[in-house]
Amino acid sequence: MKIKQLISITLLALCSGFVQANIKVDSPAPAFTLNNEKGEQVSLADYKGKYVVLEWTNDQCPYVKKHYQSGNMQNLQQKYTDKEVVWLSVISSAPGKQGYVEADEAIELTQSRNAAPTHVLFDPSGEVGKSYGAKTTPHMYIIDKQGVLRYAGGIDSIKSANPADIEKADNYVDLGLTALMNGKEVKNKLTPPYGCSVKYKS
Amino acid sequence: MRLFNRWILTVFVACCALFNVAANSSELNDGLANKLSVENASSVATGPHIQVALISEYQDLNPDQQNWIGILLEPETHWHTYWQNPGDSGEAPQMSWTLPDGVNAGEIKWPLPQKINVAHLVNYGYDGQNLLMLPLNFDNPKQYKNGDTLHVSVDLSWLVCQEDCIPGWATLNKTFDINRNNTPSDSFDLFAKTRKLHPQNKTLSAQYETTDQHIVVSVKPPVQSDWQLFALKSSVIQHNQNQQQLTSESGNTHFTLAKSDYFIDENKPLKFLLSDGTKGYYLTAAFNSVSANNNSPNQLESQTLAALLLLALMAFAGGLILNLMPCVLPVLSIKALSLQQTNLSIGNKLAYLIGVLVSFNLFALVVILLRQGGESIGWGFQMQAPWFVALMAFLFLAIALMLLDQIRFGSSLSGIGQNLVSGHGFSSQFFTGVLAVLVASPCTAPFMAASLGVAMVSPPAQTLLLFNSLALGFALPLTLIFCLPVLAKILPKPGAWMESFRQFLFFPMLATVIWLIWVYLNQTNSAALFILLISLLCFALFCWLVNHSKGMFKALFLLAVIASVILPFYLNYSAEAHTPQAQQQNNQLAYNPQKLAELKANNQLVLVNMTADWCITCKVNEQVAFNSNEVKAILNEPNVHYMVGDWTNKNQQILTFLQQYKRAGVPLYVVYAGDGSEQVLPQLLSPSIVIEAINQAKKELNHEN
Repeated sequence: MKIKQLISITLLALCSGFVQANIKVDSPAPAFTLNNEKGEQVSLADYKGKYVVLEWTNDQCPYVKKHYQSGNMQNLQQKYTDKEVVWLSVISSAPGKQGYVEADEAIELTQSRNAAPTHVLFDPSGEVGKSYGAKTTPHMYIIDKQGVLRYAGGIDSIKSANPADIEKADNYVDLGLTALMNGKEVKNKLTPPYGCSVKYKS
Repeated sequence: MRLFNRWILTVFVACCALFNVAANSSELNDGLANKLSVENASSVATGPHIQVALISEYQDLNPDQQNWIGILLEPETHWHTYWQNPGDSGEAPQMSWTLPDGVNAGEIKWPLPQKINVAHLVNYGYDGQNLLMLPLNFDNPKQYKNGDTLHVSVDLSWLVCQEDCIPGWATLNKTFDINRNNTPSDSFDLFAKTRKLHPQNKTLSAQYETTDQHIVVSVKPPVQSDWQLFALKSSVIQHNQNQQQLTSESGNTHFTLAKSDYFIDENKPLKFLLSDGTKGYYLTAAFNSVSANNNSPNQLESQTLAALLLLALMAFAGGLILNLMPCVLPVLSIKALSLQQTNLSIGNKLAYLIGVLVSFNLFALVVILLRQGGESIGWGFQMQAPWFVALMAFLFLAIALMLLDQIRFGSSLSGIGQNLVSGHGFSSQFFTGVLAVLVASPCTAPFMAASLGVAMVSPPAQTLLLFNSLALGFALPLTLIFCLPVLAKILPKPGAWMESFRQFLFFPMLATVIWLIWVYLNQTNSAALFILLISLLCFALFCWLVNHSKGMFKALFLLAVIASVILPFYLNYSAEAHTPQAQQQNNQLAYNPQKLAELKANNQLVLVNMTADWCITCKVNEQVAFNSNEVKAILNEPNVHYMVGDWTNKNQQILTFLQQYKRAGVPLYVVYAGDGSEQVLPQLLSPSIVIEAINQAKKELNHEN
């Protein structure tokens, strides 16, 4: 074996310090337990046997508003919770940062926006957000009945804050859930998410 | 209730913000409103925390040249806008231009971006004022006269952020005069300043490979600097991870980048910006297809007709050149010189050609049969067998001695040897051809390598075609000399000089023997080498004695000659053959499945490294991990075995090993703790990964014992 000698070595950093867990579609979704708006503990494990949608959200973010003011997000929530899908809206905003809400504010928001999530979950430490690699609001995940992650990424195909684009875009959550419920594979399993950054503590 | 009020308030503020961006957002969806507003439309718009403007380098547009216009984004202090890849979040400004027919807007020239950290996430953009320039071109400059006007309109959307973000939309309009006098505008200096922040025009080429978690990019930067790579798309690399850099002596820099969760591996070219903050280059990284092609080395590829003809031609040319190789030339030149005066029958003239063709076809047949038996072989596979190399050494030594007239076999043994120099009969000619092919086999001439490589893996018909092309090329020169008396006349007349020339040829022959001995050493060990050298000496001595004795002694010495040839084989098979790598470095072993199985069975700790010279990732790992002193030290420990498989060339054993681990290519690192457990290491290593894996394996072994 020939060893080509490398003369100058510039080691900027070794591959250490991987804070962020890599998430992978088609492998088990990271487990979590978080408090909901009623102060109850909700675990992913509670929903074995059901489809679960995770929606990272921040009510102040213009990209989230795009989908709530147009009614797009509520329609999806309604459509799929009616079909026994568990819809979890997760807030990873740290206290004092944009989008952080207390439980009663969250209830108000759900009512006033006519939203229909199964639970609103609070992740002020950002740990669950980081374990899923959630970067933006919205950032969407679909988990199947066996607890396997089947979709991760953007809510739809047009990266903009303009509500007029919703109609023109392919809604990846809608397409993904439809495919799974028909026993098919999700066509686009991974799409780059778009939106505001999740307002993490660090 | 208080909370509810707060919420209402924030929604109200946000709505105002959206509406503040002129009534333009509604214009976006309403073409009629858009048209009506053209008259008093403005080239400037204001949104929350930002002002945007449509500006130009010169006051007027000059149809005879490229005109630079631009969108100036001026956020408030500490607010930023985005680069074409915004990073983990955010959105790049979008423009949609409305221009008269025959006028086109070019690509946006993005200034070098800055990294903007938001908690643990990273964005790319511009803090403060930023100008996005783009050229306007006229298809037909003559269509416009000085004094004409031209209306330019752009639908612009942007996102401006501090930590929180506010999107905005505006339609900017500007009516330009047509004028060819190039009067600078107020923004002229800003354009000049912005140009300094643009990447260079030259696009660099690079290569990349992917591992489970990383993308490794290899590029040669024009100058050394503190370079960083920025992917042009957000779904390629993890923006918040450090980039590891290695610079090789050839000036290539290897970047190891954490792969984005959203990266889809399609082996397509990837685009990056190489920037050190003050200067930059775009680069296009092609997937390192060498490794991809090598992924299936055993495939029997079918060549297209044109490619096949080209390969056949190359084989033919290679055959011609093979005549000039030092191992062949002496034999053939003697033959050519000795024959020029004789008249040969047609059959005898072609006997040499037939001998060559038969030998090469036999060789091809062996290749095809072995392959059908499932073996993977390469050109010169016979040279990989030490016994063959040793036999060749004896043959060349015999030829050398013959040239010095130290071997003269009697008529009773009228074999190839004597006739090689003087015989004219069909069989002599035929065996000259066979001998020529035999002595040619250690030499791989230029042009031959490619076509032979293909021949080894092609369907049988193609293998035969390529070998026959090679044979024809090889036999052509001597056959021509035999058949065309004109050519023979060009050759120098035989005379006393021929004797000296023949003696001189002893030296290239001896050189070939030296080379063969060296090859033999690499395949065996110094003890085997010693035996071979002694045998060669005895062989030469007894040949000389045969020549200088009579009767019973002659027969005795002849037996001794044969015994000296057999000696090294007899002794070598009793000694364990050493692997060439064993002598190369510490206790590094070449990959060998039997040896691996043996070590595992003996409860030894083995690290297997499957690598190849063309594999960038492998080179990075060897530099970072295996070359570090800690790893070297641990690999040198007595019960740790380091086994390296070099897949630079096709190798069936290594392919089988890779397939066991469902891999199609290298690198692959596996640590075995005896037969008990195995651990596949990541494709990208650090010294600590290797050391931890080995320590882990040690623990398991101790536990078992």
